[in-house]
Amino acid sequence: MAVKKDYKDQKLVEKLRDRNYYIPDSNPEFIKEVEQIGRTAAHMCYQCGTCTGSCPSAPRSSYRIRLFMRKAILGLEEEILTDPDLWLCTTCYSCTDRCPRNLAPTDVIMAMRNLAARRDIIPRNFLKTTQLIYETGHGVPNNDANRAARKKLGLDEEPETTHKYPEYLPGLRKIIDHYGLKERADKILSEGE
Amino acid sequence: MAEIKKNEEPRIGVFVCHCGTNIAGSIDVAAVRDYAKTLPNVAIADDYQYMCSTPGQNKIRDAIAEHNLTGVVVAACSPRLHEPTFRNATAAGGLNPFRFEMANIREQNSWVHMHQPEEATAKAKDAVRIAVAKASLLEDLIPKSVPVEKAAMVVGGGVGGMQAALDLANAGIKTYLVEKNPTIGGRMSQLDKTFPTLDCSQCILTPKMVDVYRNENIELLTYTEVEGVEGYIGNFDVTLRKKARGVLTPAEAEARGIIGGGCTGCGDCEAVCPVIKPNPFELGMAPRKAIYIYHPQVSPLIYTVDFDACVKCGLCVEACGEKKAIDLDAKDEFMTVKVGTVIIATGYDIFPIEKKLEWGYKRFDNVITSLEFERLICASGPTGGHLVRPSDGETPKKVAFVLCAGSRDNTGVGKPYCSRFCCMYSLKHAHQIIEKIPGAVPYIFYMDIRSFGKMYEEFYYRIQNEGAKFIRGRVANILEDPVTKNLHVNAEDTLLGRPLDIEVDMVVLAAAVEPSAETEKTRRLFGVSCSQDGWLLEAHPKLNPCGTTTAGVYLAGVCQGPKDIPDTVAQAEGAASAASIPIHRGEVELEPYFAQCIEEKCAGCGLCVNLCPYGALALVEKDGRKVMQVTEAKCKGCGTCGGFCPGGAIKMQHFTTPQIVAQIDAFLLGGEQ
Repeated sequence: MAVKKDYKDQKLVEKLRDRNYYIPDSNPEFIKEVEQIGRTAAHMCYQCGTCTGSCPSAPRSSYRIRLFMRKAILGLEEEILTDPDLWLCTTCYSCTDRCPRNLAPTDVIMAMRNLAARRDIIPRNFLKTTQLIYETGHGVPNNDANRAARKKLGLDEEPETTHKYPEYLPGLRKIIDHYGLKERADKILSEGE
Repeated sequence: MAEIKKNEEPRIGVFVCHCGTNIAGSIDVAAVRDYAKTLPNVAIADDYQYMCSTPGQNKIRDAIAEHNLTGVVVAACSPRLHEPTFRNATAAGGLNPFRFEMANIREQNSWVHMHQPEEATAKAKDAVRIAVAKASLLEDLIPKSVPVEKAAMVVGGGVGGMQAALDLANAGIKTYLVEKNPTIGGRMSQLDKTFPTLDCSQCILTPKMVDVYRNENIELLTYTEVEGVEGYIGNFDVTLRKKARGVLTPAEAEARGIIGGGCTGCGDCEAVCPVIKPNPFELGMAPRKAIYIYHPQVSPLIYTVDFDACVKCGLCVEACGEKKAIDLDAKDEFMTVKVGTVIIATGYDIFPIEKKLEWGYKRFDNVITSLEFERLICASGPTGGHLVRPSDGETPKKVAFVLCAGSRDNTGVGKPYCSRFCCMYSLKHAHQIIEKIPGAVPYIFYMDIRSFGKMYEEFYYRIQNEGAKFIRGRVANILEDPVTKNLHVNAEDTLLGRPLDIEVDMVVLAAAVEPSAETEKTRRLFGVSCSQDGWLLEAHPKLNPCGTTTAGVYLAGVCQGPKDIPDTVAQAEGAASAASIPIHRGEVELEPYFAQCIEEKCAGCGLCVNLCPYGALALVEKDGRKVMQVTEAKCKGCGTCGGFCPGGAIKMQHFTTPQIVAQIDAFLLGGEQ
């Protein structure tokens, strides 16, 4: 017969509560959605760690792509989508190159970023980058220090991009507007998320 | 033979099996039985829990007598499982066993339509109706017996082939052991020690090599390859190419009239030979001459001339002197032997692991394969058993072992299967460097340690206790320090969730195995199937692991799939036992599904002769005209000729045109007439 634990003292009951279990089937639909967007059989991951071992981000950050694969399979949706580490992948595709199960972990990460973005969970720097691309055509626009460096190397101050040919900016903006990216970024940033 | 009931009305008994719930779980067995009763020619229909059980078989036997049946239909599992059972039951009832027909309502029905009971039941009724239609037209057939040559052949002289040959020979069977290399011994002779007992590989192998050489019933044919195969179980004619060896054995010398001559293995020739080549036995890590032996314990101890390298200077001939053993003008010779059964034991090669670019094999000096490690740690190897770094000859202190190197890999570059023995030999390697090099630390990068065999898990425990470091993570890539030639091994310690960069002195790749280069050629000659990854296909993965779908051809060792030494030897003994059975019985019974020529209809066009994949047909003169004749023992009943014959002059027994048409009619015209 199971006996209900009762320490009489509510504070003690709370302190000693078993709270480190996780629920392994939080959202069984999550992995299906990820696979549909990412177009890779993520559930076939056997957790060998080749991805993290290949990852240039891993030695410099807390980003662990293998852990994301594991959590995705378990359907830990909330934990994944609210984790700032999700945005530390540089999309270099080294993991995808080497994965012995022929999966594309990079695409799994991208899919989960998509799902996070649908819920407006996007880090500020990504949103600012969106705004910069909209305004200048560059995620990292040219600046004075760079101009000086280019001059010193005998190059034009402005590179052969929208900086030199601003007439191409409207076309670029049209693409971004089509997806409502700029609007979305403005809105989220103004809400102070 | 009982009189053929030709003009009698067919009377068929139908028996539907429940197979517990395997069939009855999704098919309404009673409905199928009642349906069968309504079919034309059906005299009795019954059902039972397990038709294959003794009471089930007795039902068939008794019904044949009681209802004077002319044919029996059992609706149950696949004929691969119980056709022989029910044929015997049919024979027990006094009918010809080939008056039995099986309707598969399990593998092809209840199992695949588990969740569609109505459709499954309808399909079962169709299957029974079709079977009854054929059973009504079945004829008595008499199996043919052919004599079996009292000799066997084993292809491949590794430990598996040697064991199989010894078992056959000791059972009194003349055995030809064919080996492509100049010596028997195979991969096992390249190994240093063997897990988990750590006994020296050569020490336990060489006695067997000597036994093989000395055994009176074994004709050892080294430096020989299979060139062609004709025939069938009991009567294989195998053509062998004895490659030009350039050196005579004492027996061969005597045959040429050189009394007391022939090679004694003295090595005088080798000493004077000016040509130096890498020794493949040492994986190229040691030199050999153009006239060579692999290693001192070769069997037979006969030198071999590598005619691709030999400059024919003749120095060796002079050195050999009166023995006159060397013949630099030797040519390949062919011989044909007749054997009753054959065992294939063609073994494995190492997957070319340089294809996995991230591990740098062949780019980085100090990345080696496990087989190279075996030679380097072996006292009779190129370094006298001192493990050294190929880059500078220094003794490595930190050694990383990369498991699953190319195994369990679905990328297309690598092998999807587990190579099965790498975990264990890598544990042994870890033990060996701890034992031989003071202060050495082995790092074992693993995904799972598969220590499945007897005393294997205990061996794992022992090596962990000896101080090997286990890191659960597959190696992502290896980089070389260009100055020190040390290696940086990158991986994730998945149990900690942290990336690792360990600098080591040497990396050993436990490379995947693949079928040896000769396997494909050999299997085609003997008509053996292979699985997608090239391993030879056994007749049944559990219940017939040594046999193949070609009668009289058996498998031993790694050619059938990765195996360690105990499993290889066990399978070799199994294959030897299986291969000896037809020989000891002296004759084999062939299923009587032969093509038959209806001579009145045959126009003698001969088109069928060239179509036959088994060379079973020929044109012969008969009564002044040409007709086709079938060598029944060669015919596999494939039906190619029967389907093609423009005059309809070829009858395929047990699959006659009227029988097949009746089946099609029964299906198309259906029960709802």
